[in-house]
Amino acid sequence: MSPSTSRSSIRHIALYAIAGVGLAVWAFPVIWGLLTSFKTERDVLAYPPKFIFEPTLANYREVIFGASSIVPNLWSSFVVSTAATLLTMLFAVPAAYALARLRYPAKRASGFYVLATQMLPPVGLIIPYYLVLQKIGGLDTYGGLTAIYLTFSLPFAIWLMVSYFEDVPYEMEEAALLDRAGRLRALWHVILPQVRGGIAVTTIFVFLNAWNEFMFAVVLGGNRVRPVTVAMFNFISVEQTQWAKLAAGAMLAMAPVILIGIFAQRHIVKGLTVGAVKGGGRRG
Amino acid sequence: MSRVSETAMPVSSGFPGSGTGEARPGSVRLEGVVKRHGATTVLHGVDLAIEPGEFFVLLGPSGSGKTTTLRILAGLETVSAGRVLMDGADVTTLEPGERDVAMVFQSYALYPHMTVAQNIGFPLKMVGTPVAEIERAVADAAAKVEIGHLLQRTPGQLSGGQQQRCALARAIVRQPRLFLLDEPLSNLDAKLRLETRLGLHKLQRSLGATTVYVTHDQEEAMTLADRIAVFMDGRIVQVGTPREIFSTPQTVAVAGFIGTPPMNLLRGTLQGGAVTVSGSRLPVAGAPSSSPAAVIAGSAAREVTLGVRPGDLRIAPIGLPAKVERVEDLGDSSIVSFVAGEQLLKAKSDRAPTVREGEHVYLAFDPTAAHLFDPQSGARLGAGTPDSSKERHG
Repeated sequence: MSPSTSRSSIRHIALYAIAGVGLAVWAFPVIWGLLTSFKTERDVLAYPPKFIFEPTLANYREVIFGASSIVPNLWSSFVVSTAATLLTMLFAVPAAYALARLRYPAKRASGFYVLATQMLPPVGLIIPYYLVLQKIGGLDTYGGLTAIYLTFSLPFAIWLMVSYFEDVPYEMEEAALLDRAGRLRALWHVILPQVRGGIAVTTIFVFLNAWNEFMFAVVLGGNRVRPVTVAMFNFISVEQTQWAKLAAGAMLAMAPVILIGIFAQRHIVKGLTVGAVKGGGRRG
Repeated sequence: MSRVSETAMPVSSGFPGSGTGEARPGSVRLEGVVKRHGATTVLHGVDLAIEPGEFFVLLGPSGSGKTTTLRILAGLETVSAGRVLMDGADVTTLEPGERDVAMVFQSYALYPHMTVAQNIGFPLKMVGTPVAEIERAVADAAAKVEIGHLLQRTPGQLSGGQQQRCALARAIVRQPRLFLLDEPLSNLDAKLRLETRLGLHKLQRSLGATTVYVTHDQEEAMTLADRIAVFMDGRIVQVGTPREIFSTPQTVAVAGFIGTPPMNLLRGTLQGGAVTVSGSRLPVAGAPSSSPAAVIAGSAAREVTLGVRPGDLRIAPIGLPAKVERVEDLGDSSIVSFVAGEQLLKAKSDRAPTVREGEHVYLAFDPTAAHLFDPQSGARLGAGTPDSSKERHG
């Protein structure tokens, strides 16, 4: 083996070792949760921890069909997250396009405003949001919670989408304008197909943020609208924590996230790297 | 192809006619076009008249305003002052899509998610042309630029030259009244550029459409253009046929920009039909009556900038003493650099070099080949050389 081949192998082994450690750190809670969800409460509390045990589906039966079913909560999460995602994308795509492309008064100021809203600590907004929703009867409603989710998902989506629009060369849009497309049709036929990856990534992120949101949901939701993140709390009480059911519920709540990750992996990676490999198209 | 009778002077580029009437299809005029970006003025009142069917080149160094002018013609930039007229109609405020112009961008700006056929057919689709008609027009345009076999590919699967031809096909498919080309050859390698240049010229002639072409490459401009407008610092400094621009540069800046290598420019004193450079009297007298020397012969001594094309400079028994600095043998020609006093000169010859580096020689030139410029304003002195009025053919 030549010295350079040997150096290359050592480098590879080192890289895999670092990646392996990273993966283990990331995967440990997930694997722990997965194993716990198939254990009985007795096995969960066993010390030393049991790695070999008789698996049971009782926890899943309980959290799906039992008295403490989280299915209504999964539905709540689905409705709020889907509504927030659709509305966010509906407004974010044209807003980001305008910020990236159009010339209008106070463009910089409005761009900064979008970014500034991301800088506010969410906890500082809970009281005003609560009071506003209480005044308009929006507490514990799908509409109310969706509207509040929009306040943080919309700036985030706009901010993310702007960079995708900026990556599309100006000349391409100008060519479409000269081809008599007009601005709207140029956007539809030429620009949007090129930011598809960005739209997919942003949609996924917005959905996942909404799906995983806890703080606003626990304060502004209620008995009717109780997303799954809040419902997890049902398994934790002063007397005891039902770890196995909590883990089963957590696995069910994670399932859509993981499925989206698996199916949209290609889009996510492509969307996240598009700016890095393509470069800007600004004219000189 | 119609010819133009316009003279090269004045440098404001002049119009073949006056007023806005009597415009023929394909004619383009810019009247006093000013473009400002904040406090910076990019174009300082550009006047231009382009004849129908003409291959008109906007030539100039980077930042001279040529691309801005093209983009103003396309409607992609607004003007700060002045008017744009096409076929006699004022189109200054019209949107790009309303001007009936097609443009080939330097980057080609092909739509990467569409096939070649969809790219070419896009302008027709946007105006609701029936599908069958689009297919026929696309096939026709693709055949003209010889990419008929690539219609189902996407731009990412094409070579640079094929992408360029695809962009051309997209421009010609709808038969616009004006073609705008923004440095369309600059992304091609040298060999392909030469081939494409020939093809482009042939295509323009066969279509007979008015074409405005932007380039900073003077060779491209000289070989393609019916007429050239030379841009410098946001102004048109000269308009004329390639031969006029080459043989009668109106400013010292144009003289230094056109030609490979560019014109030798020497500071000297003009008196009595000769220019004294570094103590040597170089005759510019005995020229025909239109020559610069004759025009100002007999005047008092004055400072001038003497211009001599490298091709006009030769080694002679007497003349300007110079030392051979460098000899470049290019095979079919040679370029020799000299130092005369503190000034650098270049001579170009079709023959193999006859001198060696370090050798001391005398340089001379035909007095009629002299160009004289005012050292302060840079303007040409006199009317020009005898062949300056000749049209270039082909």
